[in-house]
Amino acid sequence: MSNTKKTSNRKRQQVKPQTDIGGWARHHLKCASDAFLTLVRQPISSALTWLVIAIALMLPALFYIMLQAAASQTSHWQEGGQITLYLADATSESAGTTLANELALRPEVLKTEFISKEQAWQSFRPVISENTELQLESNPLPASVVVIPTLQDQADLEALILTLQDLPEINDIQIDLAWIARLNSLLDIARSTVHLLGIILSVAVLLIVGNTIRLSVESRKSEIEITKLLGATDAFVRRPFLYLGAWYGLFGGIAACVLLTLISVNFQSVLEPFLAGYGLSAPAIWLNAGELGTLLFASILVSLAGARIALWRHLRDTDPK
Amino acid sequence: MIRFEQVSKRYDGGHEALSSLSFHIEKGELVFLTGRSGAGKSTLLKLITAIEKPSSGSVRVNGALLKNYNRKDIAFYRRSLGIIHQDHQLMMNHSVFDNVAQPLYIAGEKPADVKRRVHAALDKVGLLSKVSFRPIQLSGGEQQRVGIARAVVKRPVLILADEPTGNLDPELSKDIMELFEQFNQLGTTVLIASHDLGLIARLNYRVMSLSNGQLVETPFASRGGQS
Repeated sequence: MSNTKKTSNRKRQQVKPQTDIGGWARHHLKCASDAFLTLVRQPISSALTWLVIAIALMLPALFYIMLQAAASQTSHWQEGGQITLYLADATSESAGTTLANELALRPEVLKTEFISKEQAWQSFRPVISENTELQLESNPLPASVVVIPTLQDQADLEALILTLQDLPEINDIQIDLAWIARLNSLLDIARSTVHLLGIILSVAVLLIVGNTIRLSVESRKSEIEITKLLGATDAFVRRPFLYLGAWYGLFGGIAACVLLTLISVNFQSVLEPFLAGYGLSAPAIWLNAGELGTLLFASILVSLAGARIALWRHLRDTDPK
Repeated sequence: MIRFEQVSKRYDGGHEALSSLSFHIEKGELVFLTGRSGAGKSTLLKLITAIEKPSSGSVRVNGALLKNYNRKDIAFYRRSLGIIHQDHQLMMNHSVFDNVAQPLYIAGEKPADVKRRVHAALDKVGLLSKVSFRPIQLSGGEQQRVGIARAVVKRPVLILADEPTGNLDPELSKDIMELFEQFNQLGTTVLIASHDLGLIARLNYRVMSLSNGQLVETPFASRGGQS
């Protein structure tokens, strides 16, 4: 390093005061309390901002709750899906029963039922008796095994079917899972929609807080200019506005949690007797403590980001002139 | 303490406020800067406070070249200055106490020290009884004194004053000048931009006179320093 550069660095170090952690902490405390008091002293205007934040956060959270409830129900509905294994003619009744029992032992199978040729004929006869022209010399229906799979996703079910196809006793397989696949696809679309909605409304929160902070910076522009003239660093000037953003986020997050809980409790009280009429139990339609905490944290984080972006954009306009 | 070397300042639009200006103010000096409106006094003070950058030439304060400072360095550098503005530059929504305390808050001083030093500074300018007032409740002269108290509260190494006695009556002007002299006697460098030729004539300090962005000879310009 040249002597000139060394001298220049030494001179620059002269202007830098020693780091005072106490002073730094005091300023943080002062900014946090001042920002809090600003919101409290302007209850109407600040409430308008944090309520908008709350509603923006509540909407995707509400969709998320409904989606979770729907997903919990579809796992029960999946039991409605069944696989029918039509057995080869040569398969005896005892071999069919043994096959059904063996399949029931598999972990991916919930239960099985063997239906003999005779049982199939008995259940089919009322249908063909109405058609008097149909003359059958013998029972054409095959014996079958009805397999109810355990709760699993589409890929696992398809793997189970591939395994069953290889069994020598089985002539044909009829699968009644298409509607579950369609339902799962719908739920996937709904999940993507919730994620998209979450991103869009997070951007909305970012813009709301950003605009509020921009207005706050504008209204205190001369004060900021004076503070900078007195030696305030950019970090010092940013701090009160960042705390303001954080408080907006916290207030908005708390309001969103309260509103969500109120809506959930109300809806649950309506849903429970309705589903009880069909012999069904209502799923839990509220966020757990972890999810509420995440919502609160996300609210603060997004609001802070909004404040920081606004400050990055507008703080340079407040340099002394 | 302050060294200008061939400093020119040209604003957007082509107006040249300062033209190849060179001078040196020693540490511990008290210097008057005078000149008509538009002579370049404010530009000179803005260059020293790093509000503006020179178009050419170099400005050194305490040996350091100001153009090498980044934003953070400029902030820290300004903490070593006591600046008194002609238009007071007070925070109208804050009390007199908070206005004077602001440099101490920025420096992270302890609350007890802040209170003691703010009260001492306000006592010096005769405004201790108005500590909880807002600047809007004060007269122009009182606002000027709040600005002076704020400038001296941190015992700066360099005081830059733009028309510090412009709104004050002669008696108060004399008191304020005595305050500057007291700080100067303690080693603080003081640069005062003033139109008040009577005040300048009364006090025997070095005078720099600006005209059209250049230093010119004046009846007081031959003074070499304090008698």
